[in-house]
Amino acid sequence: MVNLINSKNKFKKVPGILFGLIAVVVIFSVTTRYFFTLNNFINILEQASILVIASFAMTLTILLGKIDMSIGSIMSLTGVVTGLMIHNGMPVWISVFLGVVAGALLGMFNGYLISYQGFDFWIVTFSSMGIIQSLALVITNGATVPGFGNDFRFLGDGSLFGLPVIVLIASGITILLVFLTLRTTFGSNLYSVGGSEQISKYAGINTEAIVFKTYILSGILAGIAGIVLASKVNSASPIAGSGYEFDAIAATLIGGTPFEGGRGGIVGTLIGALIIAILMNGLNLYGFTPPIQFTLIGFIIVLIIIIDVLNEKYKAKKWGK
Amino acid sequence: MSIKNDIILRLENITKEFPGVLALDRVSLEVKQGEVHVLLGENGAGKSTLMKILCGVYKKDGGKIFIDNKEVTINGVKDAEKLGIGIIHQEFNLLPFRDIAQNIFLGKEPRKNIKLVDVIDRSVMYKKCRELLDSLEININEYALVKDLGVAQKQMVEIAKALSSEVKILIMDEPTATLTKNEIDKLFNIIKQLKAKGVSIIYISHRLEEIKMIGDRVTVLRDGKYIGTVEVCDTSTDELVKMMVGRKIENLYNRTYNKIGKEALRVEGLTLDKRIRDVSFKIHEGEIVGFYGLVGAGRTEVAKTVFGEYKPDKGSIFVFGRKLSKLTPTEAVKNKIGLLPEDRKEEGLTIKMSVKQNIVQASLKKVFPSGILKEDLELEISKKYIKELNIATPDAHKIVKNLSGGNQQKVVLAKWLLTESDIIIFDEPTRGIDVGAKAEIYEIMDELAKKGRAIMMISSDIKEIMGLTDRIYVMYQGKIIAEFDHQNYNQEEIISFAIGKGEKHG
Ligand SMILES: Nc1ncnc2c1ncn2[C@@H]1O[C@H](COP(=O)(O)OP(=O)(O)OP(=O)(O)O)[C@@H](O)[C@H]1O
Ligand SMILES: [Mg+2]
Repeated sequence: MVNLINSKNKFKKVPGILFGLIAVVVIFSVTTRYFFTLNNFINILEQASILVIASFAMTLTILLGKIDMSIGSIMSLTGVVTGLMIHNGMPVWISVFLGVVAGALLGMFNGYLISYQGFDFWIVTFSSMGIIQSLALVITNGATVPGFGNDFRFLGDGSLFGLPVIVLIASGITILLVFLTLRTTFGSNLYSVGGSEQISKYAGINTEAIVFKTYILSGILAGIAGIVLASKVNSASPIAGSGYEFDAIAATLIGGTPFEGGRGGIVGTLIGALIIAILMNGLNLYGFTPPIQFTLIGFIIVLIIIIDVLNEKYKAKKWGK
Repeated sequence: MSIKNDIILRLENITKEFPGVLALDRVSLEVKQGEVHVLLGENGAGKSTLMKILCGVYKKDGGKIFIDNKEVTINGVKDAEKLGIGIIHQEFNLLPFRDIAQNIFLGKEPRKNIKLVDVIDRSVMYKKCRELLDSLEININEYALVKDLGVAQKQMVEIAKALSSEVKILIMDEPTATLTKNEIDKLFNIIKQLKAKGVSIIYISHRLEEIKMIGDRVTVLRDGKYIGTVEVCDTSTDELVKMMVGRKIENLYNRTYNKIGKEALRVEGLTLDKRIRDVSFKIHEGEIVGFYGLVGAGRTEVAKTVFGEYKPDKGSIFVFGRKLSKLTPTEAVKNKIGLLPEDRKEEGLTIKMSVKQNIVQASLKKVFPSGILKEDLELEISKKYIKELNIATPDAHKIVKNLSGGNQQKVVLAKWLLTESDIIIFDEPTRGIDVGAKAEIYEIMDELAKKGRAIMMISSDIKEIMGLTDRIYVMYQGKIIAEFDHQNYNQEEIISFAIGKGEKHG
């Protein structure tokens, strides 16, 4: 306790999982020839971008001590909504904008029920996960919306200043969210509500508004992820986003934001999502088939989380609390 | 100065009802400018509820609030803040994973002038925080996370938090419950400075000796009703107790010293990094052994290490002469060691469960004799303790979260009394508990010793520890530096050892 007087916690905030990231990079660099090349790194970032954005959507709600199970479905729906609008002759940029608005509205729906109506967040977001998924299937009749023109494909497949546009989008969002969570009162309140709703209320924070806004933000991010995904794969499948919620949870947990909320954050999640992308890439280079890749990644994620938990436990034993 | 006698705050006929409880029944209160007004009452009397109404956490069902003779409406915490009302809550009110500055300025962070979004001005925030901590002589880094602080340090941060905005009226709901002498002195100095500046303080405490030290007037509540207001200089403690409890309490400490039995617990050379250094002691059957010292002296750490929660670097523990091979809480419970933890909110209670579920939690074998819950037994046992400890709850089914602070403490106490351990560790057993119940707890501890239980008692209340124990070990910076037998108790001497200036006379 005494040492606190001199130590600056400021510098200790580097997420421990950064070493995990470094470890996987080193391992793949040493064991495969192609891994440690600029091209491959750009390739990895490109592959990671959508997961990064989706994971941020998840992280924000987990920071609140809640969850958003509907982000995968929101991705699917916004993808097909945008795709259908484009095919019906709407200008691309308006279609994209309306797609994001659709994401925001869906987030609003979740947020309203959870904050102002006091429903359980699991029940609400699990239900909306199902409802939104069905909606996506209904409006497409279950069929994939086929390929798009070049202006829409620019988002997910184009490049600017020698970098994939999709990477630039993800980077921009990362910077914005880091700023929002660490530098604004909204961010501070977000952590606070996740830490304890009662303490936040006692400090005069409008906790309902924070929860509401966070779900809207989560919906917007999922919307962006869904649209960019459609652009990248050049088609909008009504089930394109399904499964992303689980990868997003994994990235969040690996990144050091626990389910209780109130700690962790965006930077950790970025690292978590990158680790997952690197594992996919590296295992691919090893020549594993996709099913085996997924199994191995599952194991590695569990391993990372176990190491993290054990490490926390060890520290707790040593230092009390 | 004449302003000294101005009534700054007047509460008139405040009423508040919770499901099944009339917590406040037309309570009135007048506070003068620059006075320390003590609010006194048993656990569950309604003190915290009244204060939560004043600071905007609860809405009143009836009554009026006047500040400077003008009626005001307080609809939320922000309203109260604007009126200059600050509060240190009775319950823990800091976020463990945020740093000191973030906690102190929670909900009122200094902002930069940027449109669109509210950006926190971090450099101003940390600078202001440092200044505030310095002005209160709190020696903690503003970047430290709250989870890394000790209980007393947390409490000092809570005090800083309450003082971070301009206050005219400062409510302190049991601020000293978790502090020891040093910090209490510091707090009292702060209170005197605030008084000099004309700030009024509403002070709630179950430590009656504090009233004489800092109080100007006292208002007593009982069962949600106003009993009366008296000047501190015109009253005696006995009289206050009578107003509070409705009866007289003779002899708080009634210890029958028993014949000491076999050695029950022996600890040898216990060492835990720098927090416990080579600690050895013994406790016998029928003995109550006190551990006195400042916060941070390592008493709680010793208790938790004996209970197996912390892994010691060195040392062994013997129970009835048999060396424990493994040191884990499970092993401790198996060997009939029980621990009433210091931080009961965090470690002792399952806040969302009912009173009876909490009471039987550590003795499930008793209520599941054959693996099936015997509900009537569970109810019977809980009712017994509710009565014995005078727990203010409408029934055994009430959710613990909705009990008053002191009554929550009593529930934890009941839980560990029920386990019937041979060796019981009480870490600050009477913290936040009213005098009536304190007397009950002392009696129960005395009874337990009579029955041959070995008791380790950690307390920062020197009167209580001297009144109740057979022996006292004084700890200082992780070491046991003195041992006293009850025939040789001397208050000054014990305290001087605790603050590291001890010398044994005679
Ligand atoms: N949120 C709540 N829901 C239901 N009942 C409550 C709630 N808060 C308080 N009560 C009840 O109101 C009564 C008064 O409680 P209060 O906390 O004001 O007591 P107190 O005087 O502060 O006691 P203590 O000295 O133990 O802190 C108690 O009977 C308590 O059980
Ligand atoms: Mg209280």
